[in-house]
Amino acid sequence: MARGSKEILQKLEQIVGPDYVSNEEAVLLPYSWDLTWTEPRMPDYVVMPKTVTEIQRILRLANHYRIPVIPYVNATNIGGLCVPEEGGIVIDLKRMDRIIKIDPETCYAVIEPGVSHAQLSAALKATNPQWEGYEFSKGFEFGWGVHPASASVLAMAINHGIGHLNGRLGINSQLISSMEVVLPTGEVVKLGSCAFSDSWHSFLPLPRMDGLFVGWMGTTGIVTKLGIWIFPIRPYKDVLTIAAETAYDMTRYMVHWRHYSLCDEVTAVSWWLAQIPIPYPYQEKPKDVPEWFSYTVISGWSEEELEYKRKMWKKVVEEERARGTKLIDFEYPPEAKRGRTELPSRIIGSTKNYSKSCGGGLAWPGTFAPCKSWPILYEKWKEIYIRHNLSPAVRFTDFQGAHYGMLRAMTPFDKRDPDSVRRAKEAMIECIRVGIPLGMLPYKPPVEFVNELNARADPGYIYLLTKIKDMLDPNNIMNPGKLGIR
Amino acid sequence: MALVLKRTDMKELAQLYDRISMCTQCGNCKYGYEYGPTENFAAMLCPQGDKYQFEAYRGSKGKAALAKGLLSGMIEWSDKAAHIIFTCIGCGACVEMCETDIKDYLQRMFEALKSEAWKQNVAIPEGVRKWSSTIRENRNPYLEKHEDRLNWLPASIRESLPKKAEYIYFVGCTASYRQKNIALATVKLLQKLKIDFTIVPDEWCCASPLLRTGQYDIAKEFIEHNRELLGKYGASAFITTCAGCYRTLSIDYQKDPPEGYTDKFGKSNFKVIHTIQLVEEMIKKGEVEFEGSFNYVVTYHDPCHLGRHAKVYDSPRNVLQAIPGLKLVEMYRSKKFSFCCGAGGGVRGGFPDYSIETAIKRIREAESTGASIITCVCPFCWRNLNDAINASKSSMKMMDITEILEPIIKRK
Repeated sequence: MARGSKEILQKLEQIVGPDYVSNEEAVLLPYSWDLTWTEPRMPDYVVMPKTVTEIQRILRLANHYRIPVIPYVNATNIGGLCVPEEGGIVIDLKRMDRIIKIDPETCYAVIEPGVSHAQLSAALKATNPQWEGYEFSKGFEFGWGVHPASASVLAMAINHGIGHLNGRLGINSQLISSMEVVLPTGEVVKLGSCAFSDSWHSFLPLPRMDGLFVGWMGTTGIVTKLGIWIFPIRPYKDVLTIAAETAYDMTRYMVHWRHYSLCDEVTAVSWWLAQIPIPYPYQEKPKDVPEWFSYTVISGWSEEELEYKRKMWKKVVEEERARGTKLIDFEYPPEAKRGRTELPSRIIGSTKNYSKSCGGGLAWPGTFAPCKSWPILYEKWKEIYIRHNLSPAVRFTDFQGAHYGMLRAMTPFDKRDPDSVRRAKEAMIECIRVGIPLGMLPYKPPVEFVNELNARADPGYIYLLTKIKDMLDPNNIMNPGKLGIR
Repeated sequence: MALVLKRTDMKELAQLYDRISMCTQCGNCKYGYEYGPTENFAAMLCPQGDKYQFEAYRGSKGKAALAKGLLSGMIEWSDKAAHIIFTCIGCGACVEMCETDIKDYLQRMFEALKSEAWKQNVAIPEGVRKWSSTIRENRNPYLEKHEDRLNWLPASIRESLPKKAEYIYFVGCTASYRQKNIALATVKLLQKLKIDFTIVPDEWCCASPLLRTGQYDIAKEFIEHNRELLGKYGASAFITTCAGCYRTLSIDYQKDPPEGYTDKFGKSNFKVIHTIQLVEEMIKKGEVEFEGSFNYVVTYHDPCHLGRHAKVYDSPRNVLQAIPGLKLVEMYRSKKFSFCCGAGGGVRGGFPDYSIETAIKRIREAESTGASIITCVCPFCWRNLNDAINASKSSMKMMDITEILEPIIKRK
């Protein structure tokens, strides 16, 4: 069955060739949904451009006919970001999959949107940090997240995705160095150092106009090239683990440990998230096991450096115990340890940990929140989740210092069961509602979360958001509906 | 909106819905990948996705989406749906990458989708329809007469074979009617190895093409017939040189779902040996010796049915490495991360251009190793890869391992 109009289909065929356009429902179907409870909505066309010029022509066409456009690569964002709220043209960018440059001296790479984590990690591992041909060490890395390796590096970075270096370097959107964007009206712009030369090393000291396209969920343009900082792989790594009885005790330990900025990552998970799979529906935790488990990844250039970090970590644990924080020793399973130190990983990158036997649904209230609110919100979320017969599979992760971190609850649910879908959705919206007043902000948010956010936003924030959106996208064709303002 | 099972009339598919629903659409299946202290592999493995690119065609994600959409009534059957289903070769690369609980059921789902498609008014590929309409009569998918099945076998050899023997050499349709060179090399090899074997005139197609294209009803007749052959000829096992026959006889006939089809066709219990396993065992036991060398650089193509489907990766390599003078070089995509030759799942018959295009990609990869010979242990792969060599004017030569072995090996 075909959707859309024959006229538009033909025009799209003229742009990219007939092999790379479809309006057939059987082809469109996978673009209509994602892992989440976001209501499936069918696009009218899918088109697969190969060049920036083709994207320009598609956007001009869409503007002329006022057709919504949804940028897409893999749609593993767990926020319904690529679900076409109002139908339209899905621009599947995976044919634009060139790693344009890896500069092993200035330590950055330039990639297209279709470059997967698998592709980039393999290429970076094979490139050695060097200066004038003298190699310092083996391989580069970027912030690899816990998602399928087929996911887009570019899409993840511009949507504030997190990576395994977020404790040391911050989230991946902080590692962007330059970009090329096609505006909704079809113009191509370069931002950062690449606007002046072929060097893609930095946005600074220029005005940070990249902010017009980072965190906007594809509503202000299509990023067609991205410069990212890459980092030498440190050859020595270890994973240190500790458990705690309560979220309060776990937060006290985490805040103390990350004070020294010695780890690549420090993360804690509730007992329910530590289970494979996450119990669904809710199951009570056994009384004789701790409620919180944490790991921290340390890395270094020598065993001595690693040993120093271990020593400091032990000191933190001892000091916390001395002041009454109840910390419990536990060993991390080898597979989990391997997964944490060898990202991007097939094991952690899959969704088996979350969705095994549960009917294929997975969503989260994924948020950035000040650390002070983690234990408070955990107790609130736990009550909400248990009331909805869901396991409070919650995670805290610190981002680069003492400022804030991630608070989220991985939530499997059964997509075959309307009641299960409804409960998951309602629980998550309630979590967002209680969290915003405590400083929590949802990231890669579905429309329902954005609506909660907008309802509590400073009017000036909404005013400027709307003004910028209107300026860049006068016909509101870019991923309409996702910002909750049009 | 929940994906409630509505189309219970699609029984083959509906019975798998609990498993199909476990696909989260995460996309792990779309790309081959392994990373670690010693591993660093990343490559496109799905031939269908590589060709057609859209999500619907790429990895198992697209097919699981289609199954969910059809079963929940979100979409209706269409010619495009049939195209998505029938251009899947069933190579199993996506299965290798899947980490959710649908993993073991994916092959069954691909075949169940094809099975349901036959019941709809949709465009089954003409090439598949054609051989399917005569296979009952001919007992092979090559539109050849059954009575010509043994025409490849010289009368002198035929007369020398015993009526009853320890093994039946299950020749398979491709070696019987097309790649007769492989059948002949196998017979000569088995004779040189002094194996007690025979060839039977009433061998029918193993049913691989029928199962791989979802034609269960016809497959049943073939399975019920072939499983009686061992008893009829007093043999204890089948020997085969065909990866497709090996997979079908050892897994589909004998294993319970989701791997095999004992739920549909009853359980068989017999031994199946691929020629290459037989030779490997004899080399290990020191029962054979080489009376010459093979001074070429060779690369080995893993047939999907022997490799990913049956997990036989080392036997062919062990044999090749034992051959004096032979230098084995690996393609980047090998073993569990091998790239399909493009022939299986009804694709060679149904979509010949796409099939050869896929095989040419494999030949290009083989060329990049510096090898002059590409070898495998499957007549169907042999045929498609050889056609690709000719179509692409490659200088490579295609040889089955039996063809390499036969002139230079002998029993001690």
